[in-house]
Amino acid sequence: MISVWKRELQSYFFTPVGYLFMGVFLALASVMFYLQILAQRSSDLLTFIGQISYLWMLLTPVLTMRLLAEERQKRTDQLLLTSPVSLTGIVLGKYLAAVTVMLLTVLLTMVYALIVAIYGRVYPSELAVGLTGFILQGCAFIALDLFISGCASNPVSAAVMAFGVNFALWILDMVETSVSARWLSETLSFFSLYARNEPFLMGQLSFASIGFDLSFAAACLILTIHMLDSRRYRGA
Amino acid sequence: MIELRHVTKRYGATLAVSDLSFRAPQGQIVGLLGQNGAGKTTTLNMLTGYFPPNEGQVLVNGMDMLQQPRECKRCIGYLPEKPPLYDEMTVAAYLTFVCELKEVERKAIPGHIREIMATCGLTEVARRLVGHLSKGFRQRVGVAQALCGNPPVIVLDEPTVGLDPRQVVEIRELMRQLGKSHTVIFSSHLLSEIQQLCQRVVILHKGRVIREADMAELTDTGDTVRLRASIAMKEKQLLPALKGLECVRRVKTLPSSASGVTEVELECTRGGDRGDPQTQLFRLLCALDAPLRMLVQQRDTLEEAFLRATSEPDT
Repeated sequence: MISVWKRELQSYFFTPVGYLFMGVFLALASVMFYLQILAQRSSDLLTFIGQISYLWMLLTPVLTMRLLAEERQKRTDQLLLTSPVSLTGIVLGKYLAAVTVMLLTVLLTMVYALIVAIYGRVYPSELAVGLTGFILQGCAFIALDLFISGCASNPVSAAVMAFGVNFALWILDMVETSVSARWLSETLSFFSLYARNEPFLMGQLSFASIGFDLSFAAACLILTIHMLDSRRYRGA
Repeated sequence: MIELRHVTKRYGATLAVSDLSFRAPQGQIVGLLGQNGAGKTTTLNMLTGYFPPNEGQVLVNGMDMLQQPRECKRCIGYLPEKPPLYDEMTVAAYLTFVCELKEVERKAIPGHIREIMATCGLTEVARRLVGHLSKGFRQRVGVAQALCGNPPVIVLDEPTVGLDPRQVVEIRELMRQLGKSHTVIFSSHLLSEIQQLCQRVVILHKGRVIREADMAELTDTGDTVRLRASIAMKEKQLLPALKGLECVRRVKTLPSSASGVTEVELECTRGGDRGDPQTQLFRLLCALDAPLRMLVQQRDTLEEAFLRATSEPDT
């Protein structure tokens, strides 16, 4: 697993993918920081984190599109699957590599907190809670998009499909707020990754949301492993 | 030693390989021969654990690939038809990654890679990106990755396809070298390649093994001996005398390179009361006072054996 993680991490920075992800994320986050914090002379970092969490929807497909789809397209999966490493090890190694790039990006966003700390006041515990939700949401999106990458036959279709599904989740969130039937609203809300992030954005450390995000990621990873294993058995 | 026992593989409704069994004994170069679509790649993919068979067993040193996949895969190095290379990595970084995958001890990796690169002639391109290499070098990197971890069995799927003649010779020489220290299983539809390299041949046809034999056994002509001779005597005098020999069944005249010299191909029966065909011919030529310039016993070619095997009706 460690060897797969290391290779994928290197691959992010041997190719433009890692730089593209971090660059676009930080550029968009900077615009939002200017509009939300600097222009309004605000120190409300939680609202800012809530806004940049929508970037996961746009950008995690960039991180995950190559992970499994390219292996399948270029048939490099033959090396991995004929080596003494388990499917679980392969999937976890790839997932953790994408999560590592995401965490590096989150680490860089601490510059914004530093700027606010210089000119205003930052509440560390509040910031920590907000970041926990932000990171967990990113982890869940990466796991979902990794599953989609496993389904796709090439990186481009993986990216398009992943973006489509992420967008559908966001739409789901909007539908949830507009439907009148309570049971439907509650059901949609239960599965919404955005609704699950709301307690963190209010400074509440919600164990239910932590559990949901972790279970969601775990379910996506287990599905990915099963899907790849079933494809192996079919010889497809 | 690798063994396939009654292995069957289906892709949906298509039967790719059916009730296939064969063994690759230790220390031999075994060739998997078959036309396109005969099931060679499917067989090698099952043999290396890329995917499991629907029925049957793959055994590596007595271990079942389904029960002990890690242990089995540790014993096998595989070069698929398209080498599994990551273009963005350097040759050295790629081989380091493969060594880590194959669980080579961390400290031993640099030395092991140097050794493999020297064997495969990759030392000069160690720092170059895999994506920038020529097809021949890419193939060598593919062979090198199969050698990582020093597995006792090397499996190569059509290793010379798409290479230029010089690269083909180099890869074949590399395989010959590997055959001295490893069990090598490789597939090809090139009969000459199999004939040059293999000690044992498995012929596949429509997903079934139709012949499995040592090369010598496969090209053995049974009770027929074919001789090619170059004799310093005019054709008119020589041919009736040759036809008069007890062992000779057929005489075919071949174009001669010099005047007064006749080249013939004789199809003879082995054994007989008057000795083997070579002895009978020698005695005849002595009696005729016709100098023998050349005498070669011709073996059946693999091509003939292959055509014979694949043209037999399905059983």
